[in-house]
Amino acid sequence: MPKTLAEMLGSPMLAVATGLGGVMGLLSFNALFCIYLERKISAWIQRRMGPMEVGFHGMLQTVADMVKLLGKQLITPKGIDKPLYHLAPLVVFAPVVAGTSLMAFSGSFALHHIDLGLVLVFTFGGFAVLGIFMAGWGSNNKYALLGAMRSVAQNISYEIPLLLSALSVVMLTTSMGRTVTVGDETVAVQGLNLFHITMVQMDRNVWFIVLQPVAAILFFIAVLAETNRAPFDIPEAESELVAGFHTEYSGMRFALFFFGEYSNMLIGCMVATTLFFGGWSGPLLPGPVWFFLKSYALMAVMMWVRWTYPRLRFDQLMRFCWMVMIPLSIVNLLVTAFFLKVF
Amino acid sequence: MAYLGRILHGFKTLLTGLRITGRESMRKPVTLTYPHVEPKLTGAYRSAIKLIRFEEMDSHDCVACLACEQICPSFCIKIDGGKIEGIKKKRATLFEMDFALCSLCGLCIDVCPTDTLEYSRLYDEAGYDRDWNMDLLEEFRDFEPTFIEQQREREEKEAAAKAAKKAAAAKAKAEADAKKAAEAEKAGGDAPKSGDAPKSGEAPKSGDAPKSGEGSAS
Amino acid sequence: MKTPNPIDLAPASAPEDEMYYLNMGPQHPSMHGVLRLLLKLHGEEIITAEPVIGYAHRAHEKMAENRSYIMFLPNTSRVDYLSGMIYNLAYCEAMEKILDIEVPERAQYIRTIANELNRISSHLLWFGTFLLDLGGVTPFLYCFDDREEILEVLDRVTGSRLTYSYGRFGGVTMDVDDAFLDGARAVLKRIRERIPMYLSLVHDNVIFRERCDGVGVMTGDLLRKYGITGPPLRAAGVAYDVRRAEPYGIYDRFDFEIPTRTAGDCMARFEVRVDEMEQSCRIVEQAIEGLPEGPIMPGRMKKRFKPPKGEFYFAVESARGHFGMYIVSDGTDNPSRIKLRTPSFSNLSSMPEVLRGTFVADTIAIVGSIDVVLPEIDR
Repeated sequence: MPKTLAEMLGSPMLAVATGLGGVMGLLSFNALFCIYLERKISAWIQRRMGPMEVGFHGMLQTVADMVKLLGKQLITPKGIDKPLYHLAPLVVFAPVVAGTSLMAFSGSFALHHIDLGLVLVFTFGGFAVLGIFMAGWGSNNKYALLGAMRSVAQNISYEIPLLLSALSVVMLTTSMGRTVTVGDETVAVQGLNLFHITMVQMDRNVWFIVLQPVAAILFFIAVLAETNRAPFDIPEAESELVAGFHTEYSGMRFALFFFGEYSNMLIGCMVATTLFFGGWSGPLLPGPVWFFLKSYALMAVMMWVRWTYPRLRFDQLMRFCWMVMIPLSIVNLLVTAFFLKVF
Repeated sequence: MAYLGRILHGFKTLLTGLRITGRESMRKPVTLTYPHVEPKLTGAYRSAIKLIRFEEMDSHDCVACLACEQICPSFCIKIDGGKIEGIKKKRATLFEMDFALCSLCGLCIDVCPTDTLEYSRLYDEAGYDRDWNMDLLEEFRDFEPTFIEQQREREEKEAAAKAAKKAAAAKAKAEADAKKAAEAEKAGGDAPKSGDAPKSGEAPKSGDAPKSGEGSAS
Repeated sequence: MKTPNPIDLAPASAPEDEMYYLNMGPQHPSMHGVLRLLLKLHGEEIITAEPVIGYAHRAHEKMAENRSYIMFLPNTSRVDYLSGMIYNLAYCEAMEKILDIEVPERAQYIRTIANELNRISSHLLWFGTFLLDLGGVTPFLYCFDDREEILEVLDRVTGSRLTYSYGRFGGVTMDVDDAFLDGARAVLKRIRERIPMYLSLVHDNVIFRERCDGVGVMTGDLLRKYGITGPPLRAAGVAYDVRRAEPYGIYDRFDFEIPTRTAGDCMARFEVRVDEMEQSCRIVEQAIEGLPEGPIMPGRMKKRFKPPKGEFYFAVESARGHFGMYIVSDGTDNPSRIKLRTPSFSNLSSMPEVLRGTFVADTIAIVGSIDVVLPEIDR
């Protein structure tokens, strides 16, 4: 079983401090790297070059942008709901830190190891919509309000197929292996434990995407919607709502929303890696390397999708969720249950 | 079934989109990295106008007729000039163009009777103020006295040449007349066509004359 | 998953205190310049929409009264900067009609080539920005890449990229060379190769279809009421094209079709424009084929033109529809009045009726699909 940070350091307080520092560092790096990656991928797809001037192939461009954002004036508009407006970026940002700390990076080491990891990740993921709604409501701006309303409806709807498709994997996990053996230890499999889900895949030498392709696709689409990525980016649809819920945010407050978005993407991809792509399993390279390689490959696919499609309309988005995603995921769940019962 | 079919079809179109963007991403970028690479200007490239330096005069040929000033829709050309002491040719003494106003329509170039205007090759001009008043005569100014001197000589020469030419032409005409008269006499009265030739006095028709002579000989 | 018409979803009567106004524009990412739409909304549904124009008014028509006929020439390219060539040459053609100037054959053919290349570039730009409005950024850049090629070819003879001022009364200002013709052929080849790619990337895409099918239907009486012309008219099944209805220039010599659709929605307008690009390619091809040798101007450009007294109307098919110029001459060399009948203005004026009952997201799609150019509306 993976050693937790607290066990390794021997002190919970120290573990919290180092863990928090580590996660913050990871997320900051992730945001910087993702913005760079997104720019480069969009540039390649559009046959441009992307950032080329700052650093080697523009690698320091995002750093420069971050410095610029730090130096920018924080404009506070008139007539805002002050507590909501000021809290919103934090409410978006804080849960992703908690969510990231639950991830199963590797088989031998964990920041946090609990049996309900998957549930907690989704719980923290659900906070993002609260922050977005607070931002939209508190901004005293009609565009922001429209974006926030869209976001709430969208996120709550897409949570259902997200959970349902994850559930079929959980069912598979608990059915395929009653116990997992690591070293000399044998433990009963907990279906909601992210580490166990990975270990079962390693034990049986199969990635769950092979057994659950439909669930994988549904999960991926739901993650796109949950993280407000194109083609589901209607809360911030720039051609309709200018910037959606963060219209009135500037400088570092705006950057925090960006941080939140990219961190949510990372969490979504990391969970998808764990559920469908065998987590940290892989030959030669150490576990965490495989884990992040897979996660960022998924991230690249998300960006690829974003730069390919136009945006759905709001009602079509909801109809897609309720008439396609949810029925399909329920059917997939039932079929999974049926096969597990029969075989 | 139709429901599933629609979903599958939609999914397929989405994959097609991904395939296309994926394929495009493999191709070379088309970006022109501008400050590092100079853009190629086409031959017709339009920029601020300038005065052409004619080789035979070693200067421009603006005669200050004000045609361009009058036709300019942006009213950005200012010209002064006219008769210059000592030479017949009129000269511009002031030719200013406010590039900030210019709309690059090219009417001035088309209307210029001496064809002394053309587009320059300025292409990345930028400035901190709006003073874009260009003195187009600047590069010619130092040379202007010499030009006037040379122009006078040229005009004198021209006048002399003209007079000489006139005399030569008169002489040639007299000679030709004499020749033709002799020819007509030789051909006799039986070829009326050849009789027309000396009247028009033009090259192709006079070329006909031997032909008709040949005809008459056969 | 056929989208029901949003009008069916709209509440029969929403209480007044649940409505609010949303000012879309003049500074808005997808208002094509400086259009301001005053939307009265109930949730996301539009109760009334009122276009407010005039933010890019430059008094082109008034300027015409203060200068001679030839001095108005550069203004025409700037009325609609996306199809500047068409407007520019239209003005030249109108003046030639009035002044009774014979245009050399070669100039006529060059004009046709330039016109149609300009039409393709305008449609390409529309295509890109329409997709941008719908949220697809990538096709926008592909289109700009193609459009760049056309601009480069036109740059070779006009020396400009947008505001060409290429026409002169009686001809054109610069002769084309072989490099230009080769470039034009290469453009045609490229556009024809790219259109299938665009269609499978965009037209077949299920999201795009959802966004466009049945959205912003403009048919029947509405077209007549507002004088809608151009692709929106042809998308509703009326095969009206000035190039065919009242052929000007040498358009009666070419073999081309007028693409039409019957649905009258955003999708139909999209398809009509894509087909028009193909037809423009055909015209350019034929014009290159038949390009005769000869002069491009009947003589030196004159400085002054004095048309006879009277009123004249001349219309062409611009990339956006029926563009007319109404010229009143009082016999002097300054026009007494030039009125420009721009297609975007008429097309946009139907918006209050078309937008009613749609969603905010549809507003963007519909306004994008009729292809308005704001400077052309404000003039």
